[in-house]
Amino acid sequence: MSNVQQETFDIIAKQAKIELDTIKPESTLKDLGIASLDAIEVIFDIEEHFNINLPNEDTDFDGGTVGQLVEAIERQLAQKTSE
Amino acid sequence: MRRIVITGMGAICALGHDAPSVWKAMTEGVSGIGPLTRFDASALRSGGIAAEIKQFDPSRHFDEARLAFLDPLSQYALVAAREAVEQSGISFDGERASRTAVLVGVGVAGEETREGLYKRLYEERATRFHPLGIVRIMTNAPASQISMAHGITGPTFAVASACASSNHAIAQAALMIRAGLVDAAVVGGAEASLTLGLMRAWESMRVLAPDTCRPFSAGRKGLVLGEGSAMFVIETLESAQARGATILCELAGTGMSADAGDIAAPSAVGASAAMSMALRDAGLAPEAIGYVNAHGTGTVANDSTETRALHSVFGAHAPALAISSTKPMHGHALGAGGALELIGTIGALRDGIVPPTLNYLEPDPACDLDYVPNVAREKKIDAAISNSFAFGGLNAVVAVKRMG
Repeated sequence: MSNVQQETFDIIAKQAKIELDTIKPESTLKDLGIASLDAIEVIFDIEEHFNINLPNEDTDFDGGTVGQLVEAIERQLAQKTSE
Repeated sequence: MRRIVITGMGAICALGHDAPSVWKAMTEGVSGIGPLTRFDASALRSGGIAAEIKQFDPSRHFDEARLAFLDPLSQYALVAAREAVEQSGISFDGERASRTAVLVGVGVAGEETREGLYKRLYEERATRFHPLGIVRIMTNAPASQISMAHGITGPTFAVASACASSNHAIAQAALMIRAGLVDAAVVGGAEASLTLGLMRAWESMRVLAPDTCRPFSAGRKGLVLGEGSAMFVIETLESAQARGATILCELAGTGMSADAGDIAAPSAVGASAAMSMALRDAGLAPEAIGYVNAHGTGTVANDSTETRALHSVFGAHAPALAISSTKPMHGHALGAGGALELIGTIGALRDGIVPPTLNYLEPDPACDLDYVPNVAREKKIDAAISNSFAFGGLNAVVAVKRMG
Protein backbone atom coordinates (compact mmCIF):
# COMPACT_ATOMS: atom_id res chain seq x y z
CA MET A 1 0.00 0.00 0.00
CA SER A 2 1.41 3.39 -1.00
CA ASN A 3 1.89 6.05 1.63
CA VAL A 4 -0.75 8.21 -0.02
CA GLN A 5 -3.24 5.34 0.11
CA GLN A 6 -2.34 4.59 3.73
CA GLU A 7 -2.76 8.21 4.80
CA THR A 8 -6.00 8.57 2.84
CA PHE A 9 -7.47 5.43 4.41
CA ASP A 10 -6.43 6.71 7.87
CA ILE A 11 -8.32 9.97 7.23
CA ILE A 12 -11.42 8.13 6.01
CA ALA A 13 -11.35 5.69 8.94
CA LYS A 14 -11.00 8.51 11.45
CA GLN A 15 -13.71 10.67 9.92
CA ALA A 16 -16.17 7.81 9.41
CA LYS A 17 -15.26 6.16 12.72
CA ILE A 18 -14.78 2.80 11.04
CA GLU A 19 -12.06 0.14 11.30
CA LEU A 20 -9.20 0.67 8.87
CA ASP A 21 -9.39 -2.86 7.47
CA THR A 22 -13.00 -2.38 6.31
CA ILE A 23 -11.76 0.10 3.67
CA LYS A 24 -10.88 -1.50 0.33
CA PRO A 25 -9.73 0.32 -2.83
CA GLU A 26 -12.93 -0.80 -4.54
CA SER A 27 -15.22 0.60 -1.80
CA THR A 28 -17.19 3.76 -2.52
CA LEU A 29 -17.62 6.33 0.24
CA LYS A 30 -21.30 5.48 0.07
CA ASP A 31 -20.49 1.77 0.73
CA LEU A 32 -18.60 2.89 3.82
CA GLY A 33 -21.65 4.77 5.08
CA ILE A 34 -20.15 8.20 4.36
CA ALA A 35 -22.79 10.38 2.74
CA SER A 36 -23.77 14.00 2.25
CA LEU A 37 -21.70 16.49 4.23
CA ASP A 38 -19.63 13.74 5.87
CA ALA A 39 -18.25 12.90 2.44
CA ILE A 40 -17.55 16.57 1.73
CA GLU A 41 -15.74 16.77 5.06
CA VAL A 42 -13.58 13.73 4.24
CA ILE A 43 -12.52 15.42 1.00
CA PHE A 44 -11.79 18.62 2.91
CA ASP A 45 -9.64 16.73 5.43
CA ILE A 46 -7.75 15.10 2.56
CA GLU A 47 -7.20 18.48 0.86
CA GLU A 48 -5.93 19.97 4.11
CA HIS A 49 -3.67 16.99 4.86
CA PHE A 50 -1.98 16.89 1.45
CA ASN A 51 -2.41 20.62 0.77
CA ILE A 52 -4.04 20.02 -2.60
CA ASN A 53 -7.30 20.95 -4.31
CA LEU A 54 -9.50 18.13 -5.53
CA PRO A 55 -11.79 19.23 -8.36
CA ASN A 56 -15.48 18.31 -8.14
CA GLU A 57 -15.00 15.89 -11.07
CA ASP A 58 -12.72 13.76 -8.89
CA THR A 59 -15.20 13.51 -6.06
CA ASP A 60 -18.04 11.30 -7.27
CA PHE A 61 -19.38 10.16 -3.92
CA ASP A 62 -21.93 7.70 -5.29
CA GLY A 63 -20.01 5.88 -8.01
CA GLY A 64 -16.35 6.74 -7.43
CA THR A 65 -14.22 4.30 -5.46
CA VAL A 66 -11.70 5.04 -2.74
CA GLY A 67 -9.03 3.68 -5.11
CA GLN A 68 -10.00 6.30 -7.70
CA LEU A 69 -9.87 8.94 -5.01
CA VAL A 70 -6.31 7.90 -4.13
CA GLU A 71 -5.38 8.12 -7.82
CA ALA A 72 -6.84 11.62 -8.00
CA ILE A 73 -4.83 12.63 -4.93
CA GLU A 74 -1.65 11.22 -6.47
CA ARG A 75 -2.35 13.16 -9.67
CA GLN A 76 -2.72 16.40 -7.73
CA LEU A 77 0.44 15.69 -5.71
CA ALA A 78 2.41 14.95 -8.88
CA GLN A 79 1.17 18.18 -10.42
CA LYS A 80 2.20 20.08 -7.30
CA THR A 81 5.74 18.61 -7.40
CA SER A 82 6.13 19.48 -11.08
CA GLU A 83 5.10 23.10 -10.54
CA MET B 1 -61.62 32.27 6.92
CA ARG B 2 -60.26 35.64 5.77
CA ARG B 3 -59.20 35.59 2.12
CA ILE B 4 -55.84 37.19 1.40
CA VAL B 5 -54.85 39.00 -1.77
CA ILE B 6 -51.65 40.51 -3.14
CA THR B 7 -52.02 44.14 -4.17
CA GLY B 8 -48.44 45.26 -4.69
CA MET B 9 -45.08 43.85 -5.64
CA GLY B 10 -41.57 45.18 -5.98
CA ALA B 11 -38.30 43.56 -6.93
CA ILE B 12 -34.63 44.10 -7.56
CA CYS B 13 -32.14 41.48 -8.73
CA ALA B 14 -29.68 40.79 -11.53
CA LEU B 15 -32.58 41.00 -14.01
CA GLY B 16 -33.60 44.57 -13.18
CA HIS B 17 -34.33 47.14 -10.52
CA ASP B 18 -38.14 46.92 -10.46
CA ALA B 19 -40.75 44.19 -10.75
CA PRO B 20 -41.88 44.95 -14.35
CA SER B 21 -38.27 44.79 -15.60
CA VAL B 22 -37.62 41.58 -13.69
CA TRP B 23 -40.77 39.95 -15.04
CA LYS B 24 -40.09 41.12 -18.61
CA ALA B 25 -36.59 39.63 -18.44
CA MET B 26 -38.06 36.36 -17.16
CA THR B 27 -40.42 36.12 -20.11
CA GLU B 28 -37.56 36.89 -22.50
CA GLY B 29 -35.31 34.25 -20.96
CA VAL B 30 -32.57 36.69 -19.99
CA SER B 31 -29.86 35.39 -17.67
CA GLY B 32 -28.27 37.68 -15.09
CA ILE B 33 -25.42 35.25 -14.45
CA GLY B 34 -21.90 36.41 -15.27
CA PRO B 35 -18.38 36.79 -13.88
CA LEU B 36 -18.25 38.30 -10.39
CA THR B 37 -17.21 41.93 -10.51
CA ARG B 38 -17.56 43.02 -6.89
CA PHE B 39 -14.31 41.49 -5.69
CA ASP B 40 -11.39 39.61 -7.20
CA ALA B 41 -12.88 36.18 -7.75
CA SER B 42 -10.02 34.79 -9.82
CA ALA B 43 -8.87 32.47 -7.01
CA LEU B 44 -12.27 30.84 -6.64
CA ARG B 45 -12.38 27.24 -7.81
CA SER B 46 -16.06 27.49 -8.60
CA GLY B 47 -15.70 29.62 -11.69
CA GLY B 48 -16.26 32.95 -9.98
CA ILE B 49 -19.75 33.48 -11.40
CA ALA B 50 -22.94 34.85 -9.85
CA ALA B 51 -26.08 36.79 -10.69
CA GLU B 52 -25.03 40.21 -9.43
CA ILE B 53 -27.14 43.34 -9.34
CA LYS B 54 -25.52 45.75 -11.76
CA GLN B 55 -25.59 49.53 -12.14
CA PHE B 56 -27.34 50.09 -8.86
CA ASP B 57 -26.70 53.58 -7.55
CA PRO B 58 -27.87 53.75 -3.90
CA SER B 59 -27.63 57.55 -3.88
CA ARG B 60 -30.53 57.67 -6.34
CA HIS B 61 -32.72 55.97 -3.72
CA PHE B 62 -31.43 57.19 -0.35
CA ASP B 63 -29.99 60.37 1.08
CA GLU B 64 -26.47 60.25 2.44
CA ALA B 65 -27.41 60.35 6.11
CA ARG B 66 -29.74 57.39 5.74
CA LEU B 67 -27.42 55.42 3.51
CA ALA B 68 -24.82 55.22 6.27
CA PHE B 69 -27.21 52.90 8.12
CA LEU B 70 -27.92 50.61 5.18
CA ASP B 71 -26.08 47.51 4.09
CA PRO B 72 -27.03 46.55 0.50
CA LEU B 73 -29.29 43.96 2.17
CA SER B 74 -31.51 46.73 3.53
CA GLN B 75 -31.11 48.91 0.44
CA TYR B 76 -32.54 46.19 -1.78
CA ALA B 77 -35.37 45.44 0.64
CA LEU B 78 -36.30 49.12 0.94
CA VAL B 79 -36.29 49.63 -2.84
CA ALA B 80 -38.53 46.60 -3.36
CA ALA B 81 -40.85 47.50 -0.47
CA ARG B 82 -41.28 51.06 -1.72
CA GLU B 83 -42.28 49.80 -5.15
CA ALA B 84 -44.75 47.30 -3.66
CA VAL B 85 -46.35 49.90 -1.37
CA GLU B 86 -46.64 52.42 -4.22
CA GLN B 87 -48.25 49.87 -6.52
CA SER B 88 -50.76 48.80 -3.89
CA GLY B 89 -51.66 52.39 -3.08
CA ILE B 90 -51.91 51.46 0.58
CA SER B 91 -51.17 54.06 3.25
CA PHE B 92 -50.37 53.36 6.85
CA ASP B 93 -52.31 56.18 8.49
CA GLY B 94 -54.14 55.82 11.77
CA GLU B 95 -55.00 52.34 12.92
CA ARG B 96 -53.61 50.84 9.70
CA ALA B 97 -50.06 51.41 11.02
CA SER B 98 -50.47 49.00 13.92
CA ARG B 99 -52.66 46.62 11.91
CA THR B 100 -49.86 45.93 9.40
CA ALA B 101 -46.94 43.53 9.79
CA VAL B 102 -43.49 43.67 8.22
CA LEU B 103 -41.86 40.29 7.71
CA VAL B 104 -38.65 39.90 5.74
CA GLY B 105 -37.01 36.56 5.03
CA VAL B 106 -33.23 36.78 5.22
CA GLY B 107 -30.98 33.75 4.87
CA VAL B 108 -27.70 35.29 5.94
CA ALA B 109 -27.28 38.94 7.04
CA GLY B 110 -25.48 42.13 6.01
CA GLU B 111 -22.42 40.24 4.79
CA GLU B 112 -20.77 42.99 2.78
CA THR B 113 -20.61 45.17 5.87
CA ARG B 114 -19.55 42.29 8.09
CA GLU B 115 -16.73 41.13 5.87
CA GLY B 116 -15.54 44.66 5.21
CA LEU B 117 -15.31 45.40 8.92
CA TYR B 118 -13.81 42.02 9.82
CA LYS B 119 -11.17 42.52 7.15
CA ARG B 120 -10.19 45.75 8.87
CA LEU B 121 -10.23 44.03 12.25
CA TYR B 122 -8.33 40.84 11.47
CA GLU B 123 -6.25 41.69 8.44
CA GLU B 124 -5.51 45.35 8.89
CA ARG B 125 -5.45 45.04 12.69
CA ALA B 126 -7.76 48.00 13.13
CA THR B 127 -8.42 48.77 16.77
CA ARG B 128 -11.79 50.45 16.20
CA PHE B 129 -14.98 48.91 14.82
CA HIS B 130 -17.40 51.14 12.94
CA PRO B 131 -20.27 52.11 15.26
CA LEU B 132 -22.93 51.42 12.61
CA GLY B 133 -21.65 47.89 12.00
CA ILE B 134 -24.26 46.18 14.14
CA VAL B 135 -27.27 48.04 12.79
CA ARG B 136 -26.16 47.44 9.21
CA ILE B 137 -25.31 43.76 9.68
CA MET B 138 -28.21 42.55 11.82
CA THR B 139 -30.60 40.13 10.13
CA ASN B 140 -33.65 42.14 11.16
CA ALA B 141 -32.26 45.38 9.64
CA PRO B 142 -34.40 45.17 6.45
CA ALA B 143 -37.61 44.59 8.44
CA SER B 144 -36.78 47.42 10.84
CA GLN B 145 -35.84 49.82 8.03
CA ILE B 146 -39.08 49.12 6.16
CA SER B 147 -41.16 49.71 9.28
CA MET B 148 -39.33 53.01 9.85
CA ALA B 149 -39.57 54.15 6.23
CA HIS B 150 -43.33 53.55 6.07
CA GLY B 151 -44.35 54.20 9.66
CA ILE B 152 -45.62 50.66 10.16
CA THR B 153 -45.92 49.78 13.85
CA GLY B 154 -47.38 46.27 13.80
CA PRO B 155 -45.47 42.99 14.31
CA THR B 156 -42.12 43.37 12.55
CA PHE B 157 -39.27 40.89 12.42
CA ALA B 158 -36.99 38.76 10.25
CA VAL B 159 -37.72 35.18 9.33
CA ALA B 160 -34.72 32.91 8.79
CA SER B 161 -34.79 29.50 7.16
CA ALA B 162 -31.91 29.77 4.69
CA CYS B 163 -33.24 29.31 1.14
CA ALA B 164 -36.87 29.04 2.31
CA SER B 165 -36.83 32.29 4.33
CA SER B 166 -39.04 34.26 1.92
CA ASN B 167 -41.72 31.61 1.73
CA HIS B 168 -41.72 31.10 5.48
CA ALA B 169 -42.10 34.88 5.88
CA ILE B 170 -45.05 34.90 3.46
CA ALA B 171 -46.63 31.97 5.33
CA GLN B 172 -46.14 33.74 8.65
CA ALA B 173 -47.72 36.92 7.31
CA ALA B 174 -50.70 35.01 5.92
CA LEU B 175 -51.23 33.28 9.25
CA MET B 176 -51.12 36.60 11.11
CA ILE B 177 -53.75 38.03 8.79
CA ARG B 178 -55.96 34.98 9.08
CA ALA B 179 -55.64 35.06 12.86
CA GLY B 180 -56.94 38.63 12.80
CA LEU B 181 -53.77 40.03 14.32
CA VAL B 182 -53.24 42.36 11.36
CA ASP B 183 -55.12 43.20 8.15
CA ALA B 184 -52.10 43.69 5.90
CA ALA B 185 -48.42 42.92 5.66
CA VAL B 186 -45.38 44.10 3.77
CA VAL B 187 -43.63 40.79 3.24
CA GLY B 188 -40.91 39.17 1.17
CA GLY B 189 -37.23 38.46 1.35
CA ALA B 190 -33.82 39.99 0.82
CA GLU B 191 -30.25 38.81 0.43
CA ALA B 192 -26.91 40.43 -0.36
CA SER B 193 -24.18 37.95 0.41
CA LEU B 194 -21.99 37.78 -2.70
CA THR B 195 -18.78 38.15 -0.71
CA LEU B 196 -15.48 36.28 -0.86
CA GLY B 197 -16.11 34.61 2.49
CA LEU B 198 -19.58 33.37 1.58
CA MET B 199 -18.52 32.32 -1.92
CA ARG B 200 -15.66 30.32 -0.38
CA ALA B 201 -18.05 28.73 2.12
CA TRP B 202 -20.47 27.64 -0.62
CA GLU B 203 -17.63 26.49 -2.84
CA SER B 204 -16.28 24.21 -0.12
CA MET B 205 -19.67 22.48 0.10
CA ARG B 206 -19.16 21.58 -3.56
CA VAL B 207 -22.56 22.84 -4.64
CA LEU B 208 -21.49 25.74 -6.90
CA ALA B 209 -21.58 25.19 -10.65
CA PRO B 210 -18.39 26.24 -12.46
CA ASP B 211 -20.21 26.79 -15.77
CA THR B 212 -23.78 27.95 -15.19
CA CYS B 213 -27.06 26.92 -13.58
CA ARG B 214 -29.04 24.34 -15.60
CA PRO B 215 -31.84 22.96 -13.42
CA PHE B 216 -33.35 19.54 -14.20
CA SER B 217 -31.01 19.15 -17.19
CA ALA B 218 -28.53 16.38 -17.86
CA GLY B 219 -25.05 17.72 -17.18
CA ARG B 220 -26.08 20.07 -14.38
CA LYS B 221 -23.24 20.85 -12.02
CA GLY B 222 -24.73 22.87 -9.23
CA LEU B 223 -26.17 26.21 -8.28
CA VAL B 224 -25.14 29.79 -9.02
CA LEU B 225 -25.70 32.38 -6.31
CA GLY B 226 -27.72 35.55 -6.78
CA GLU B 227 -28.88 38.49 -4.68
CA GLY B 228 -31.66 41.00 -4.37
CA SER B 229 -35.07 41.41 -2.87
CA ALA B 230 -38.73 41.10 -3.68
CA MET B 231 -41.46 42.49 -1.44
CA PHE B 232 -45.24 42.30 -1.57
CA VAL B 233 -48.20 44.02 -0.01
CA ILE B 234 -50.70 41.42 1.07
CA GLU B 235 -53.99 42.20 2.76
CA THR B 236 -57.47 40.86 3.32
CA LEU B 237 -59.75 40.77 0.31
CA GLU B 238 -62.12 42.99 2.29
CA SER B 239 -59.41 45.61 2.86
CA ALA B 240 -58.35 45.60 -0.80
CA GLN B 241 -61.96 45.93 -1.99
CA ALA B 242 -62.69 48.72 0.47
CA ARG B 243 -59.70 50.66 -0.86
CA GLY B 244 -60.60 49.92 -4.46
CA ALA B 245 -57.13 48.45 -4.92
CA THR B 246 -56.06 46.49 -7.99
CA ILE B 247 -55.77 42.87 -6.95
CA LEU B 248 -52.82 41.04 -8.53
CA CYS B 249 -53.85 37.59 -7.34
CA GLU B 250 -55.06 35.66 -4.34
CA LEU B 251 -52.57 34.27 -1.83
CA ALA B 252 -54.49 31.05 -1.53
CA GLY B 253 -52.44 28.97 0.88
CA THR B 254 -49.11 27.98 2.30
CA GLY B 255 -47.46 24.75 3.45
CA MET B 256 -44.47 24.20 5.68
CA SER B 257 -42.53 21.14 6.83
CA ALA B 258 -39.20 19.96 8.19
CA ASP B 259 -37.35 16.88 6.92
CA ALA B 260 -35.97 16.05 10.37
CA GLY B 261 -33.29 14.19 8.44
CA ASP B 262 -30.05 15.39 6.93
CA ILE B 263 -28.78 18.95 7.48
CA ALA B 264 -28.01 19.36 3.77
CA ALA B 265 -29.34 16.49 1.62
CA PRO B 266 -32.89 17.12 0.37
CA SER B 267 -35.84 14.84 1.15
CA ALA B 268 -38.70 14.03 -1.19
CA VAL B 269 -40.89 13.25 1.81
CA GLY B 270 -40.38 16.67 3.40
CA ALA B 271 -40.82 18.48 0.08
CA SER B 272 -44.01 16.53 -0.71
CA ALA B 273 -45.44 17.27 2.72
CA ALA B 274 -45.02 21.02 2.24
CA MET B 275 -46.56 20.96 -1.25
CA SER B 276 -49.51 18.83 -0.13
CA MET B 277 -50.13 21.09 2.83
CA ALA B 278 -50.10 24.19 0.61
CA LEU B 279 -52.66 22.61 -1.73
CA ARG B 280 -54.90 21.56 1.18
CA ASP B 281 -54.56 24.97 2.81
CA ALA B 282 -55.51 26.64 -0.47
CA GLY B 283 -58.41 24.27 -1.06
CA LEU B 284 -56.92 23.39 -4.45
CA ALA B 285 -56.96 19.93 -6.02
CA PRO B 286 -53.62 18.90 -7.57
CA GLU B 287 -55.34 19.05 -10.98
CA ALA B 288 -56.09 22.75 -10.46
CA ILE B 289 -52.39 23.64 -10.53
CA GLY B 290 -51.07 24.69 -13.95
CA TYR B 291 -47.63 25.97 -13.05
CA VAL B 292 -44.97 25.10 -10.49
CA ASN B 293 -42.13 27.52 -9.90
CA ALA B 294 -39.69 24.88 -8.71
CA HIS B 295 -36.95 25.26 -6.16
CA GLY B 296 -34.79 23.84 -8.99
CA THR B 297 -31.34 24.83 -7.79
CA GLY B 298 -29.39 22.97 -10.46
CA THR B 299 -27.72 20.57 -8.04
CA VAL B 300 -27.92 16.88 -8.93
CA ALA B 301 -29.61 16.05 -5.63
CA ASN B 302 -32.22 18.81 -5.43
CA ASP B 303 -33.64 18.49 -8.90
CA SER B 304 -34.08 14.72 -8.89
CA THR B 305 -35.51 14.80 -5.35
CA GLU B 306 -37.91 17.62 -6.22
CA THR B 307 -39.04 15.68 -9.29
CA ARG B 308 -39.82 12.64 -7.13
CA ALA B 309 -41.75 14.86 -4.72
CA LEU B 310 -43.75 16.38 -7.61
CA HIS B 311 -44.65 12.88 -8.83
CA SER B 312 -45.80 11.86 -5.37
CA VAL B 313 -47.97 14.97 -4.84
CA PHE B 314 -49.42 15.35 -8.33
CA GLY B 315 -49.58 11.72 -9.47
CA ALA B 316 -51.12 11.37 -12.92
CA HIS B 317 -51.36 15.18 -13.24
CA ALA B 318 -47.57 15.65 -12.83
CA PRO B 319 -46.73 15.35 -16.57
CA ALA B 320 -49.35 18.02 -17.35
CA LEU B 321 -47.70 20.59 -15.09
CA ALA B 322 -45.58 23.36 -16.54
CA ILE B 323 -42.59 23.38 -14.18
CA SER B 324 -39.74 25.84 -14.34
CA SER B 325 -36.87 27.09 -12.29
CA THR B 326 -36.12 30.78 -12.78
CA LYS B 327 -32.81 30.46 -10.90
CA PRO B 328 -30.70 30.42 -14.13
CA MET B 329 -31.99 33.98 -14.60
CA HIS B 330 -31.78 35.61 -11.15
CA GLY B 331 -29.47 33.09 -9.50
CA HIS B 332 -30.07 31.37 -6.21
CA ALA B 333 -30.88 34.38 -4.08
CA LEU B 334 -31.12 32.35 -0.85
CA GLY B 335 -33.33 34.32 1.58
CA ALA B 336 -34.73 36.37 -1.30
CA GLY B 337 -35.29 33.31 -3.50
CA GLY B 338 -38.94 32.52 -2.79
CA ALA B 339 -39.94 36.17 -3.06
CA LEU B 340 -38.19 36.74 -6.41
CA GLU B 341 -39.71 33.52 -7.68
CA LEU B 342 -43.17 34.67 -6.61
CA ILE B 343 -42.72 37.59 -9.03
CA GLY B 344 -42.39 34.97 -11.79
CA THR B 345 -45.28 32.94 -10.45
CA ILE B 346 -47.62 35.94 -10.29
CA GLY B 347 -46.48 36.96 -13.75
CA ALA B 348 -47.43 33.53 -15.09
CA LEU B 349 -50.91 33.83 -13.53
CA ARG B 350 -51.54 37.34 -14.76
CA ASP B 351 -50.02 37.24 -18.25
CA GLY B 352 -50.45 33.58 -19.17
CA ILE B 353 -46.73 33.23 -19.85
CA VAL B 354 -44.66 30.53 -18.16
CA PRO B 355 -41.05 31.62 -17.66
CA PRO B 356 -38.57 29.04 -18.97
CA THR B 357 -35.85 26.93 -17.37
CA LEU B 358 -32.75 28.29 -19.10
CA ASN B 359 -29.55 26.44 -20.01
CA TYR B 360 -31.39 23.15 -20.42
CA LEU B 361 -29.32 20.75 -22.54
CA GLU B 362 -31.11 17.40 -22.59
CA PRO B 363 -33.32 15.26 -20.36
CA ASP B 364 -31.95 13.54 -17.27
CA PRO B 365 -33.82 10.24 -16.67
CA ALA B 366 -34.15 11.24 -13.00
CA CYS B 367 -35.96 14.44 -14.04
CA ASP B 368 -38.75 13.29 -16.34
CA LEU B 369 -41.32 16.10 -16.24
CA ASP B 370 -42.03 19.19 -18.37
CA TYR B 371 -39.56 21.87 -17.31
CA VAL B 372 -40.42 24.42 -20.04
CA PRO B 373 -36.85 24.24 -21.38
CA ASN B 374 -35.14 27.41 -22.59
CA VAL B 375 -38.12 29.26 -24.09
CA ALA B 376 -41.11 30.87 -22.35
CA ARG B 377 -44.47 29.34 -23.14
CA GLU B 378 -47.98 30.76 -23.44
CA LYS B 379 -50.33 28.90 -21.16
CA LYS B 380 -53.36 30.03 -19.22
CA ILE B 381 -52.60 29.47 -15.55
CA ASP B 382 -55.39 29.59 -12.97
CA ALA B 383 -53.39 28.48 -9.98
CA ALA B 384 -49.73 27.89 -9.23
CA ILE B 385 -47.35 26.97 -6.45
CA SER B 386 -43.84 28.19 -5.70
CA ASN B 387 -41.44 25.84 -3.90
CA SER B 388 -38.56 26.63 -1.57
CA PHE B 389 -36.54 23.90 0.13
CA ALA B 390 -33.72 24.95 2.41
CA PHE B 391 -30.54 23.56 3.87
CA GLY B 392 -31.48 22.44 7.31
CA GLY B 393 -34.33 20.42 5.80
CA LEU B 394 -36.84 23.29 5.98
CA ASN B 395 -39.52 23.49 3.31
CA ALA B 396 -42.09 26.18 2.52
CA VAL B 397 -44.50 26.36 -0.40
CA VAL B 398 -46.80 29.20 -1.44
CA ALA B 399 -49.97 28.66 -3.50
CA VAL B 400 -51.49 31.52 -5.50
CA LYS B 401 -54.51 31.74 -7.76
CA ARG B 402 -56.10 34.12 -10.18
CA MET B 403 -58.86 36.34 -8.87
CA GLY B 404 -61.75 35.05 -10.57
